[in-house]
Amino acid sequence: MIQFIFKGIIRDRSRSTLPIIVVSIGVFLTVLLSGWMKGIFTDMIDMNANFSTGHVKIITRAYAENESQIPNDLALLGTDTLVPLLQKQFPQAEWVERIQFGGLLDVPDKNGETRAQGPAFGKGIDFSSPESKEASRLNIQHSLVQGTLPTKRGEAIITDDFAKRFNVKPGDKVTVFGSTMDGSMAFKTFIVSGTVRFGSTLLDRGAIIIDLADARDMLDMDNAASEVLGYLKTGQYNDEEANAIRDSFNTKYSNPSDEFSPVAQTLRQQNSLGQYLDMAENMSAIMTFIFVFAMSIVLWNSGLLAGLRRYTEYGIRLALGENKGHIYKTMIYEAILIGIIGTIIGSIIGLAATYYLQEVGLDFSSMTKNVTMMLPPVYKAKITPELFYIGFFPGLIATVLGNALAGFAIYKRKTARLFRELEV
Amino acid sequence: MLAFKLAIRNLLGAGLRTWLNVGVLSFAFVVIIFYNGLIDGWNRQGIKDTMEWEIGSGQFWTPGFDRYDPYTYTDAHQSVSDEVKQLIHQQKATPVLITRGTIYPQGRMQSVILRGVDPHQTILKLPTSAFDNPNDVTPAIIGKRMAQSARLQKGDKVLLRWRDKNGTFDAREITISAIFNCDVPPADNGLIYLPLATLQAMTGMENQASILIMSKDNQIEALQGWEYKSKDFLLKDFKELIKAKKGGGVVLQGLLLLIALLAIFDTQVLSIFRRQKEIGTYIALGMTRWQVVGIFTVEGAMHSILASLLGAAYGIPLFWFLNQKGITFGSPDVGITIAETIYPYYSLGLIVTTMLLVIISATIVSYIPARKISRMNPTEALRGKVQ
Amino acid sequence: MKHIIIIVFSIFLFATQGNAQDAKTILQRLDENLSSTNRVVKSEMTIHGKRRSRTITSKSYTVGTEKSFTIYLSPARDAGTKMLKLNNQLWIYSPSTDRIIQISGHLLHQSVMGSDLSYEDMMDDRKLTEVYDATLEGSDTLQGRDVYIIKLTARVDDIAYHAQKLWVDTQRYVPLKEELYAKSGQLLKRVTLSDIQKIEGRWFPMKMNYKDMLKQGDGTDFTITDIKFNQNIPAYQFTKAALKE
Repeated sequence: MIQFIFKGIIRDRSRSTLPIIVVSIGVFLTVLLSGWMKGIFTDMIDMNANFSTGHVKIITRAYAENESQIPNDLALLGTDTLVPLLQKQFPQAEWVERIQFGGLLDVPDKNGETRAQGPAFGKGIDFSSPESKEASRLNIQHSLVQGTLPTKRGEAIITDDFAKRFNVKPGDKVTVFGSTMDGSMAFKTFIVSGTVRFGSTLLDRGAIIIDLADARDMLDMDNAASEVLGYLKTGQYNDEEANAIRDSFNTKYSNPSDEFSPVAQTLRQQNSLGQYLDMAENMSAIMTFIFVFAMSIVLWNSGLLAGLRRYTEYGIRLALGENKGHIYKTMIYEAILIGIIGTIIGSIIGLAATYYLQEVGLDFSSMTKNVTMMLPPVYKAKITPELFYIGFFPGLIATVLGNALAGFAIYKRKTARLFRELEV
Repeated sequence: MLAFKLAIRNLLGAGLRTWLNVGVLSFAFVVIIFYNGLIDGWNRQGIKDTMEWEIGSGQFWTPGFDRYDPYTYTDAHQSVSDEVKQLIHQQKATPVLITRGTIYPQGRMQSVILRGVDPHQTILKLPTSAFDNPNDVTPAIIGKRMAQSARLQKGDKVLLRWRDKNGTFDAREITISAIFNCDVPPADNGLIYLPLATLQAMTGMENQASILIMSKDNQIEALQGWEYKSKDFLLKDFKELIKAKKGGGVVLQGLLLLIALLAIFDTQVLSIFRRQKEIGTYIALGMTRWQVVGIFTVEGAMHSILASLLGAAYGIPLFWFLNQKGITFGSPDVGITIAETIYPYYSLGLIVTTMLLVIISATIVSYIPARKISRMNPTEALRGKVQ
Repeated sequence: MKHIIIIVFSIFLFATQGNAQDAKTILQRLDENLSSTNRVVKSEMTIHGKRRSRTITSKSYTVGTEKSFTIYLSPARDAGTKMLKLNNQLWIYSPSTDRIIQISGHLLHQSVMGSDLSYEDMMDDRKLTEVYDATLEGSDTLQGRDVYIIKLTARVDDIAYHAQKLWVDTQRYVPLKEELYAKSGQLLKRVTLSDIQKIEGRWFPMKMNYKDMLKQGDGTDFTITDIKFNQNIPAYQFTKAALKE
């Protein structure tokens, strides 16, 4: 019988097109909205993860004690063995090294003497490896005000405020004067490839982003990194997975009596993000529930409408002597089929749209004028496992429920009055 | 008028179907108002907290002072003139002396910013009364974030080293006499508050201040020898963040509204299909086609009116409740000002704009299917034969 | 009776005056011993880091207290880095970037090469007698030698350390220990001097250990490997052009 109904749905456009379209659109919206919700409620978490905490962060115990001072003398050593080890032991995450440093950003005049200088915060990230996602993780491309990303070693990005204040343009040189891991003087001159805005006045006053290899060279940190950050390959923070990595790493490789032994911390443990994480999760769960509920009502309604639309048809079928129960059953089967087809179509489109918004995001910088910033400017949706089944609640269950309710009308109809109703 | 009466009667007559539509639309209503109310609430509280804890209603800076460059602190301070003293006396301004120092908690070294504040000031919410503890020789107050990063507790003593106005080192133990809890990270991170007179004496900067923080009712925007920094200037970062947050909400609200409008659209398509005879009758009775289009459009749009009533019915108590209880966000240290508990704020403007948005968009989606009526052949319609 | 009181009082007065005189004389002799019109010093600085120690060698030319020029010789990373100090201005030249960077203001408070010395500590070398009042606090033995203990209190405002305590060898007029104090009396730094050698007729400490008393760690060791006084240093040495050579 299912095959018969299926053929009916396929062949009788008037019976299927509109309901399937409605269900698909409904499911599409539900999926997209849920993904979007997840994305915007966790953007602050993501921003922190991308910028400083990672999903899991590995630093030395001594570094952890004094983290606010950026104590590179306490940095992780031997990262050339540590990172491959992490990649092998914990392939569920992507591991990246970063170097943070503080120093003086010095702008030379034509004789190579100080023209202007200011204190700066620096970050060394992996720009050069082709597989590196660091530049997009820090959203540098979108935050560029002038120029381009560094394309080769020896190029740097500086903040636009600094550049404007000291009249530095892309192509100009700046020298970083700081101290190496050992405390020696560190100098390196960079060519400014572009300028960015972070959206935080404090950072915007003076910051420089350079390639990890340049940072290593400058700070004498061969094989060393301030921190190794782990990003789960699913793209989103997951407590269970992060805890598993942390616990396993700390048991195997961390030695509480050695202050230079590495220690792993999850995102939740850092910057008191735990509570916010819970809140974001609850909030997005509540909102998602509201949407699924609202969508269910809409589809229930459209199920009702579908039942009503075919009032005449059922009347004729009853008149022809078809059993009420049978009509009801075929109607429910039809609803189930339409629900499934609609949900699948809607989910596919919804997931595709969510994926697009996850990868590209919506840039509101044109809408919020003058707000181009690295922190949270582009809103991104997020694909989570529940997006794959969430559409079935409104798409299938609500559609069927709507049809089922509308179908009760069939039982109320009196055969004797059918022909009066059917009179045209 | 007829259109309205008919619309109401038809809608109410449709029973469950109408109420489902209206229910969803009212949801959209309530959520849009809720989200914007939440952001507005955050915004208002953030501004209020920042003003109460950090910036007052505006500040006067010593020329050369730059809040983001601690190195300017060394030189940017000046004597408090009699004119300014008058303002301080009237509680219109409070002087703050800002300089740098280093603390050594358990042998670790940490750079800090020292702020000397008047123990009797009323402009900032800082618990400056804790300075009055007679047992503490050099009482200091710090925020919870600072306490956490330096691992200090109330009653702890810690060695502080600083330089006086001539660059001469000085050091002494200070006692943490209070730890305060505030939602404004810039008023907490890396800061140690000391009594103004103590810091002035410690640095040899008697009667000096780096900045003046103005009280709420301040009207003064110019003072001889000081640079005025308005509230807007001091709140720039925060306001931009809020603007960006609102942007993220637009998509959310748009999608939700789409869901609700989809329901209205679907209903309209069906009613026009099912009610051909009715349409034919209206035209037969002498109505123009566009009048009939009007009746159906009003009927669809009426959903939004009912939705605002329904939304108000459960939304008002809900909003009232949330406003009383607030929404707790925990205390994330993400470097931005966010209250632990946000009390949503619903402005009249927000409610009116949302209503207009919902009503106009509902009218548009009701009108689109109704246009079909204008192309109907009345006789066909009367017989119910339009496909 | 009256006479006795006057006599006792004047003895006392003379005694204290004598002491003050002594402290001042000691300080003068110490200044004579340690300062010179010019000198050329080769030295090693060992910085005990939290993880490892490293040694930096350098050669400096100093004229009076105003001018000094230092060139770093090793390790390889630091070799060729030069520093020029004229009065209270400081320039650093880095050969790898061929840049001259001026260090001013707050940056002078930073530590030099991660040591327990700041640029400022290095730069402020006014004669002790110019900036401090001295009083003799007593005597003791230290490193097996008799020493005077002298308390110095700042006479000028613009000085990093308000007070110092010196343990000065009674015969050689060389300090064996220095303690640097904050205004409040808090001990901030301790310098231990040893390996006193006679060079060109004057006693000079060849080893010093600087220790920031507020920080953890073993401080910084400073060893003079070669010192020459009253050399012929061309004026050109103290110009920015010399930095780039």
